[in-house]
Amino acid sequence: MAKEFDISRIVQFIKRDVTLLKGSIVTGLLVSSILLFLFCLFNMAWDKKLSADEFFGCFSLCYFPLGVLYTYAICREFQNPKLNHTYLSLPVSTQERITAKWLNAYLLYTLGFSLLAITVGMFAMIVGTIIFRADFTITSLFSTNYWNVVFLYFFVQPIFLVGALSFTKNRIGKTLLVLGVLFIGFLIFNFICFGLLNHDFGIFSGESTGSLAFDKASKDFSLFGRWFYGLIFGPLMLLVAYYKIKEKEV
Amino acid sequence: MLNCKQLQFNYPKSRPILKSVDLNFGSGNIYGLFGKNGEGKSTLMKLVCGLLTPEFGYCTLFGESTHARSVQTLKDLFFIPEDFELPALPIYTFEKINSVFYPNFSREHFYTLIEEFRLYRKQDISKLSFGQKKKVLIAFGLATNTPLLLLDEPTNGLDIPSKSQFRKILASSINEDKCIIISTHQVRDLHSLIDHMVILDNAQVIFNQSLSTVSDALWFGRPSKENESEVLFSESTFGGRVILNREFQEESEVDLELLFNGVLSNPEKINSILKN
Amino acid sequence: MDFDNSKPIYLQIAEVFYENILEKRWKEEERIPSVREIAMLVEVNPNTAIRAFNHLQDLEVIYNKRGIGYFVAKKGFSKVMEIKRKEFMEHTLPDVFKKMNMMNIPLEELINAFNQEKNEKE
Repeated sequence: MAKEFDISRIVQFIKRDVTLLKGSIVTGLLVSSILLFLFCLFNMAWDKKLSADEFFGCFSLCYFPLGVLYTYAICREFQNPKLNHTYLSLPVSTQERITAKWLNAYLLYTLGFSLLAITVGMFAMIVGTIIFRADFTITSLFSTNYWNVVFLYFFVQPIFLVGALSFTKNRIGKTLLVLGVLFIGFLIFNFICFGLLNHDFGIFSGESTGSLAFDKASKDFSLFGRWFYGLIFGPLMLLVAYYKIKEKEV
Repeated sequence: MLNCKQLQFNYPKSRPILKSVDLNFGSGNIYGLFGKNGEGKSTLMKLVCGLLTPEFGYCTLFGESTHARSVQTLKDLFFIPEDFELPALPIYTFEKINSVFYPNFSREHFYTLIEEFRLYRKQDISKLSFGQKKKVLIAFGLATNTPLLLLDEPTNGLDIPSKSQFRKILASSINEDKCIIISTHQVRDLHSLIDHMVILDNAQVIFNQSLSTVSDALWFGRPSKENESEVLFSESTFGGRVILNREFQEESEVDLELLFNGVLSNPEKINSILKN
Repeated sequence: MDFDNSKPIYLQIAEVFYENILEKRWKEEERIPSVREIAMLVEVNPNTAIRAFNHLQDLEVIYNKRGIGYFVAKKGFSKVMEIKRKEFMEHTLPDVFKKMNMMNIPLEELINAFNQEKNEKE
């Protein structure tokens, strides 16, 4: 019996994707590091320093879009009707495929892009100190903000993975549309739930205690929500992606 | 080794493509899968590979269902579709990233075939013509050494010398452990290789016989005065060839095209003779 | 190889063997190509090639040395001669006679034609 979950096969499968996308990866990283470099410089031109907030603002501006593009790129073969016969009949199990896709588009990508961003950030700071006489604040490159960004991507990425595996045309646009509709839906749902549960407090009557409670609750919920979405929604989306691959037909 | 049981399939909002298809494929044979356009040849191949989900029924390869697309079954089959694209890579990179997944892949065999097809390892696939890409995939498919090889219209896009090369290569690749299934319209391209004929029509298998059985029972050729009355099927062209009950006549070569047309025009008649 | 449509392919392969033996390209007690090589050479299914080999073995034209391969039999040449002669007498000649009958060609004309051909060669 052949093993259906084999680490070496996953490694080979990731290698395969990276080889196939070598050109796109190099271009993507090059363009995004130039953009990141310019963003950082503009930031320093303003107030002569690059704070952690500012740096990670620039970082996310490149990290998310590039990550989403990469996620779509590694699913291109899956969707292309002229490529997916050979692709889907390659002896790799669905578990291995989803693991490889996730490791590649989330873990490897985050690792690679972070290293690149730190290098670019450092370089930008050196250039900044020379041109604008900005402060050299290397600590900005290593802060808890980083983990927030990476954590946020942890649950955003699987959504786009599902999008990439579900739609054949205008994949990014459609995913964003569905996401927007879902987001508004959730917003309304949460708002109604909140209104029903806290009706007695008269939160909608404009009383100051009521809106105070509203603020407080939304703050509490955001913490709860983050854990909910991060820990449940992310893996849930990965599970959906697994079934998308498993049930794919040509 | 490959069994299809009561296989049923239709695309959404279309008539059935396959209705209760039962087929067994054994190793050591080259099966020819024939049928008019749109009679489900490609669909059957995709079902066998697990690339489509049957409405009803199943396919098993060495007893394992192929629908799950498990490593266990996928490592034993290779499918060359009629129309495909290959990634823009040099041939040797293409081989490197894909061959690792096939446990019995023979690198040596692959490069021998590539050379026989007058290609070379450093050639960029994106600069090849469709026929040349097909050669790359055929070479790869044969080098994987999978027990089951499925070829959908393999000679489409090949020029005349390549067709001959393809026949040579196929003839040298078959052995007792291998089963090759070829679907084709170009009967003449491959008639000397096929030793078992399956015909699909009206979403069903209407003919499934080894050619040795056929040549034992039927006779193909030009009619003479004596046997005009016993003609089972004749070409409509003037001086056309006919199918006869062989009886005591000398053995003749099976004319696949004639047999195909004969079976389509009256499957019951020919099948009933072969049964006896 | 171009196949004639009426004769079974295995017999057509056998014809090629006969030709090679009669023209002494394959000598007696000499090894001949393997089943696989023949199948590849004439672009046929190896099962068909095996049939040709078995047929020729039954006729004692070739024999199999287990694990080594196929060889032309000791009396291979004369066997082929015998087979071809029989074929000529039983198939080719009756055909000629039939045509002669149909076209009213007397036997003398045939003899003349034969002698003329012989003289030209000399």
